[in-house]
Amino acid sequence: MSPPSEPKRFATLSPIFQVLLCAVFGTTSEVLLKVGAAHTQHTVSPLPWVDVSGLMSAWTWVSIVFTLLSLVFWMSALRTLPLGLAFPLSNSVHVLIPLSCWAFLGEVINGRRWCGIALVVTGLLVVARTYANLEKRL
Amino acid sequence: MRAVTLGLILVSLLTFVGGQLCFKSAADEPGEVPGPPPAPPQRRAVVFGAGIVCMTVSFFVNLHLLQQLDLSFLFPFQGLSVLIVTVGASLFLRERLTVPLVIGTLLITVGVMLVSAS
Repeated sequence: MSPPSEPKRFATLSPIFQVLLCAVFGTTSEVLLKVGAAHTQHTVSPLPWVDVSGLMSAWTWVSIVFTLLSLVFWMSALRTLPLGLAFPLSNSVHVLIPLSCWAFLGEVINGRRWCGIALVVTGLLVVARTYANLEKRL
Repeated sequence: MRAVTLGLILVSLLTFVGGQLCFKSAADEPGEVPGPPPAPPQRRAVVFGAGIVCMTVSFFVNLHLLQQLDLSFLFPFQGLSVLIVTVGASLFLRERLTVPLVIGTLLITVGVMLVSAS
């Protein structure tokens, strides 16, 4: 209601969108990383345990761009959100990634995995309630 | 699952968690969040660099693992990082743990483990 509270309200609304964008870009990055890794699966790496052969795929480099974008939004969100709150929220990737794997990579999601996804979504809603309470206090 | 693969998953997980704790330490701005005062800019740059190193190690180990395993199998292991990061943030960054946060974190962790066990 009072004008001085508006900047604070905006500042607390913004990070949640930044975390969501971080999750979307992170999901895109992981899917592209898998595509890049699959393309270079039979390429011999000079280092056996630190595999750099994946860098020979363009998909891997696009994935790195999305990783950097995700990192930018993540760092921005961390300026205002506690890590213990922001990190659980960012775990919406555990819902987005299996769904993306199913949709784009043809991987199978069985019943148990669907139950896990449902639990993650429930957990996200509980954590989001903490965020709503934090927003009220601010 | 072979012991080497499990070890690499652990390395990927722990470097990822360490990187997140470094990023949060580096990202804090004065007066933005409650808790201890943020470190001076030079120290924050070093901490951010340490975070980048940790995440880079995690990235390349993860890339190697992805060549061996399905993404939908491998990625959920990082779900354990939810619990470790939340506890780590409380221990090292002195963040406050609330009951809903702990319950939500446990639900996410169990959900992710269920996904990974599928």
